[in-house]
Amino acid sequence: MTQTLVTSAKRQLAHEIISGGTGLVLALFMWGHVVLVGSILTGERGFNWMATFLEDYYIAQPTVVAIFTLFLVHAVFAARKIPAQLRERKRIADLAKGLKKSGREKVATRTAHSPFRPHLESMLWIWQVRTGMIMLVLGSFHLILLGMDVFTPLFGDIVGIESSTSMARVGAGLWLPYAILLLCVEFHASVGLYRLAIKWGADLWMSRKTMHRIEQVIFWLILVIGGLTLTVLAGWVEPPLAFLLDGAAP
Amino acid sequence: MSETTRQLRFEIFRYNPEDADSEPHTDVFELEETPFMTLYIALNQIREKFDPGLQFDFACRSAICGSCAMMVNGRPALACRTLTSDLPDKICLYPLPVFKLIGDLSVDTGTWFRAMVERTEAWIHERLPFDPDATEERMSDDIAAAIYENDRCIECGCCVAACGAANIDSAFLAGAGLNRIARFQMDPRDQRTDADWFEVLASEQGVFACIGMMACEDVCPKELPLLDVYGYLRRKSLATALSSREK
Ligand code: HEM
Ligand code: FES
Repeated sequence: MTQTLVTSAKRQLAHEIISGGTGLVLALFMWGHVVLVGSILTGERGFNWMATFLEDYYIAQPTVVAIFTLFLVHAVFAARKIPAQLRERKRIADLAKGLKKSGREKVATRTAHSPFRPHLESMLWIWQVRTGMIMLVLGSFHLILLGMDVFTPLFGDIVGIESSTSMARVGAGLWLPYAILLLCVEFHASVGLYRLAIKWGADLWMSRKTMHRIEQVIFWLILVIGGLTLTVLAGWVEPPLAFLLDGAAP
Repeated sequence: MSETTRQLRFEIFRYNPEDADSEPHTDVFELEETPFMTLYIALNQIREKFDPGLQFDFACRSAICGSCAMMVNGRPALACRTLTSDLPDKICLYPLPVFKLIGDLSVDTGTWFRAMVERTEAWIHERLPFDPDATEERMSDDIAAAIYENDRCIECGCCVAACGAANIDSAFLAGAGLNRIARFQMDPRDQRTDADWFEVLASEQGVFACIGMMACEDVCPKELPLLDVYGYLRRKSLATALSSREK
């Protein structure tokens, strides 16, 4: 026996799947992205080989379009949970701050049986909104820039990405917005994945503590790789993995 | 316990909505800490020594009735279960947000919980008419234990007060309401179908209005597994939607 489901309720579910699903795909893509851009760690040759390969086989072009679309769809649907009024946003920010602080004060007499369990996730949500807003600006800029690089001969000598123009751009000052973007993306994505895992399966997989630990490891790991990539792109340090391609044919 | 006794400084929210002359403000009271002092004991001392007009609620004094919840240094907690030894010297007490203020630290959780119970129809909708001669139906131990676990809610309102979504929209079912749904949805004696539940569960004030701040579980004085409940309900509504499509 089946009954038809109420449309408004189905819509709520659909919105949640769209915001969570796009967030999941974007977050997973960002891991791949780290590896792709990380090719610069092997030197310019590795980077150019990777860029040309992805463009020659028409992987890069549709990916740029798809990611930009997912990015905008995610922003629209995830933002439905951000309170509209400034007063409301202040309300939950104050609530989150209070919850984060409570139970963390140094109290000499506190026993091991204190009922105060530490709580951080409310504040993490506030920061997810803040980083999301920053990404909306910086991420759009980055995606449009790269879209133009991939589809037009506007930058450099060829249609497509090449190390010389990328490095020139980053070295000339783009490293600053990129560093902010990197921090925001990795924070937002790792906290987002943690939240997603808890929302749908707090009782299924690992304990919440373990999941939070994994979230932190992922965050720092990707942040360090990303940060290193950025310094190499800016030309401040030599590619540390250049030896990998030492013997390779030009 | 040999250290010198602490001098505790209480900052308590004061406001009487019934009194046109009353303005919201905080009053400060100082007390000497005594061994095993709870906020319940402290508040009674303040009322006896300094201000007989101070309003706050208590009944059981043992974390069962759920009437003494208040914001303790920014976090909802049961005053009768909170030891001052767990708190710093400065203790700020505010009434729970979301609920209607009665006066000072006293709020009306009853109206909210009644509306929640009516909306979720939190009572057994019998599958079969009652037959006094029939033998009782059996229930598996696992389900009985799970129902019992969810039934431990004392309706103190801590999870509601700590919830970001409920602080914006007080109609959001929040931890207590969704926990109630899970309790009846898993009960084999209840005749409501998954499609019936889907309507409540996935409504605009249902599980998908949760923003995942996870405070409900961390502040629950009964340590109910509210996040497990949320996961269960989300998967249940996804499964309901998928299976209604197939047919
Ligand atoms: C364009 C700017 C963005 C904005 C404004 C934004 C905003 C948000 C907000 C408000 C949430 C919380 C939603 C909720 O509580 O249900 C969220 C969740 C999430 N975001 Fe974003 N975000 C943006 C970009 C991104 C990007 C680029 C990624 C991937 C790297 C990402 C990954 C995620 C994930 C995985 C979640 C968790 C989904 C969930 O909890 O259901 N977001 N985002
Ligand atoms: S007085 Fe009953 S729960 Fe605190």
